[in-house]
Amino acid sequence: MTLQPIRTLTIGASIACALACSPALAQTVKVGIVGPFSGPFAHYGALFKSAVEAYVQTQGGKLAGQSIEFIYRDTGGPNPSQTKTLAQELIVKDKVDYLGGFVFTPNALAVAPLIEKSKTPTVIFNAATSGITEKSDYFIRTSYTLSQVTVPLARWAADNKLSKVVTAVMDYGPGVDAEAAFKSAFAAKGGTVVESIRMPISTTDFAPFVQRIKASGAQAVYTFLPGGPPNLGFVKAYNDNGLAASGIRFLGTAETDEYDLEKFGDSALGLTTAFHYSAAHESAANKAFIAALHKRDPSAAANYATVGAWDGMYVIHKMIEATQGKRDGAAAIAAARKLSWESPRGPVRIDETSRHIVQNVYLRKVEKVDGKLANREVQNFGPQGDQRTATP
Amino acid sequence: MTTTAQAPAATEITRPRARAMPPPWRLPLATIAAAIVASLLWPDQLGLVSRVASTALLVLSLDLLVGYAGIATLGQAALFGVGAYGAGLFAQQVHGDPLLGLLVAAAAGACLAAASGAFLLRFEGFTLLMLTIAFAQILLSLASTFRGLTGGDDGLSDFTVSPILGLWEFDLEGRVGAIYAVAVLAAGLYLSRRVANSPFGLSIRGIHESRARMAALGTPVRQRLIGIYALSGMLAGVAGAVTAQINGIVGLDSLGFPLSAEALVMLVLGGAGNLSGSVIGASVFTLLHHTAASIDPYHWLFVIGIALMAVVLFPPAALAQKAWDRVRGTRKAAP
Amino acid sequence: MTLLLNILVDGVAYGMVLFVMAVGLSITLGLMKFINLSHGAFAMAGGYGVAVLVGSHGCNFWAALLVALIATGVFGAALEALVLRHLYRRPELQQVLFTIGLTFFLVATANAIFGPQVRSISLPPSLSGSVDLGFRTLPTQRVFVLLAGVAAAALLTWIIARTRFGVWIRASVDHADAASGLGIPIRLVQCLSFGAGAALAGLGGVLGAELMPLEPYYPLKYLVLMLVVVAVGGMGSIPGSLCAALVLGTVDTASKYLVSEWGSLLFFVAMGLLLAWRPRGILTR
Repeated sequence: MTLQPIRTLTIGASIACALACSPALAQTVKVGIVGPFSGPFAHYGALFKSAVEAYVQTQGGKLAGQSIEFIYRDTGGPNPSQTKTLAQELIVKDKVDYLGGFVFTPNALAVAPLIEKSKTPTVIFNAATSGITEKSDYFIRTSYTLSQVTVPLARWAADNKLSKVVTAVMDYGPGVDAEAAFKSAFAAKGGTVVESIRMPISTTDFAPFVQRIKASGAQAVYTFLPGGPPNLGFVKAYNDNGLAASGIRFLGTAETDEYDLEKFGDSALGLTTAFHYSAAHESAANKAFIAALHKRDPSAAANYATVGAWDGMYVIHKMIEATQGKRDGAAAIAAARKLSWESPRGPVRIDETSRHIVQNVYLRKVEKVDGKLANREVQNFGPQGDQRTATP
Repeated sequence: MTTTAQAPAATEITRPRARAMPPPWRLPLATIAAAIVASLLWPDQLGLVSRVASTALLVLSLDLLVGYAGIATLGQAALFGVGAYGAGLFAQQVHGDPLLGLLVAAAAGACLAAASGAFLLRFEGFTLLMLTIAFAQILLSLASTFRGLTGGDDGLSDFTVSPILGLWEFDLEGRVGAIYAVAVLAAGLYLSRRVANSPFGLSIRGIHESRARMAALGTPVRQRLIGIYALSGMLAGVAGAVTAQINGIVGLDSLGFPLSAEALVMLVLGGAGNLSGSVIGASVFTLLHHTAASIDPYHWLFVIGIALMAVVLFPPAALAQKAWDRVRGTRKAAP
Repeated sequence: MTLLLNILVDGVAYGMVLFVMAVGLSITLGLMKFINLSHGAFAMAGGYGVAVLVGSHGCNFWAALLVALIATGVFGAALEALVLRHLYRRPELQQVLFTIGLTFFLVATANAIFGPQVRSISLPPSLSGSVDLGFRTLPTQRVFVLLAGVAAAALLTWIIARTRFGVWIRASVDHADAASGLGIPIRLVQCLSFGAGAALAGLGGVLGAELMPLEPYYPLKYLVLMLVVVAVGGMGSIPGSLCAALVLGTVDTASKYLVSEWGSLLFFVAMGLLLAWRPRGILTR
């Protein structure tokens, strides 16, 4: 017995109206931005939105003479079936010309068959697993991969008399990638990874791992953490449990991300990381980027997520230019593969074969600049591509 | 002797009604009709139709447990996930035929349910609820650890599903997928209704009402419960397989707690104990989520939260009953 | 040997955090048989309260803690009196549905007020730094959590066992109608107990903020963890919750030390085994 006709009908009717009322705008280029806008990773979606809208604003509201319509869709967390449904709707119903976004690897992988069939160029603003761009010829990536930023760090560590390092990574795809990349690059230069610690993704208490790092006898710890609470927890544990004091160096990549950096307080000072973007990068392009971003949204952090989206929009801009606003996936991708430009992060280009961005990777140290914490670039490792390493 | 007529307790939404049993074809046909209408109204959103259909099948499997057998569980995702990974691995390692994949998933779901049920169903109430959570989390941990097999958190995506019966390939617009999902759902609904109407189904309802009494009547209670649990596992596994085949990827979220919790929420929303509630609940919740998220992804949780609280405080069943009575002009008068 | 000691020290410290967060839920579940899945929201409220008072208004940590706990307790009591008490006689699934809806609502509210960013609580100097245990150091904050947890457990046990209010609580749990027939103000007992449970959760939120930083998704993220402790410890049993929290905390910590590639597998296996062995609670036969 479910006599719920009245309630269900009311809900059903309002849903019908909402779904049917999709505005049909002609002659604009539609870009679907797929990312997390709710849940624990909602800040990525907000950052993407601020960056892409700021970019269009700096170009005077139109890209290559075409007006742009953004359609934002929320994937929540890693949820490939929902992402596929959303992307399908964007492609079939909303008829988007380009897709952008994607924070999580399974979500990006889920749309690969769709974009391949529909020939929709898709720019990945974040998802960092190397193999994604191989799944479809229509993927372009403007973020980074783990091996890209880790290999130079491993080589630097070996060159700087660190012969024994312990790796402590979060036990999930990118973490495992990072561990593999570090191990092989470090071993190639004669270093030894004394222990490889895998930290479960649900970890809140990092004390046990810090104790293990202490006991391993290593001179430094290479870590990879996904961002948010684990970063905070690990860095706190690193300081509170005397790791910093005992002289075990911290080597990381995205852990001192500007979004979270202030929260660490002074405990973050001196942390060494290798990464492709720092908000403290000294260049005119970076200054312009940060100014435009804050003009659009004063609370947006200039970090790898916003710069990934910003550069992603640049690629989309150039693709629109190359196809004169018409929907031609193959031509767009062909044009995108040849791009090279001065990004806020430094000089970059898209690698023709892998369709992944080639960029400078810098060594940075956390320092206080004008009273705020910043990643000061101390060394430039030069342009790095995606150096694939075989996963064990 | 005067008695005061009492309105039926409209708050007991999980109580199965012992009345005339609906014919088994009614609900599947109604669902197919609704799906056809939806596909005509929104021909560009067939992916959503598939999603609602496969979710409804999962919620249906839960209804057999929660609504009919009175077994509250928050671990249904374990069975869904096993079916999804089973179908995916089958397509990857053995053969890409989707119908065979469904059979494999059905078998996987049923076997896992029967095996786990033999242990879990010794317990009741809150303990059982927590144990089902533990079971699902253990499976999730295992799937995550054996990432060579399952792809870990990157998901299992290196598999291709062949066209159904060699004829119909899963297309971009999702047409074949939608028909496939709805057909499987209709079959599941038919099967469930047949089982619910059968003596087995009635004994399950009896067990829900009172285990002691059924045991006193000589019913092998545990066997029956394991049986319904296996059936439920089979349907959940099939739901997982359909999702895996249509999407071409299986993620760890298929085994996750949020999926189990959402399925339970959808079931309670639509009304447990009568099978149609699973379809209604899945449709309403998914469409509500989808619409609210497109309008304002940051604040859709407000909408869902308020909707859920409203449904409990002002149960649609009771309200509709009152409205129905008033429309009919009947009043239960105390003699 | 050091390994064993390390496991014990870290395990107990972690377990204490779990205990303080979950004990309020155990009390309300045991006392009112009301499944409140929004319990985590109280932990979040307490944590945010202190974070905001200390961070944005520069209040003294201890004063902020007191204020936040009282506020959370009042919030809990008000929620109980106005809304939740109408649901006591409803079937369990409806309670589950309602409190999940309430949790979603509170998560969305926290997101709207505080933003999606993670918040940490700046500790006063007395709680920063580490304590030297000889063979290793332990952050002072953890020692504080340990002591606070023990104090909370002792205080609760004393209240239940020795005070009049405790008698009322025990009577209400055993038989609400008979108790009210004897003149015990059941409504007041339920309301105050709920408020106390909420305040305890708030305390847990503050104490646990070092491990579980505050964010809008907090109540949903740690819901399963709290339910596990309550289930294994037995509803309504404070010593049970303490024991369960310590055991599970130590198992999880041991897993991190020894076989961290297995993730939280051992935790849930331990939970399953304990529940199967003692379904009514680890200290109840």
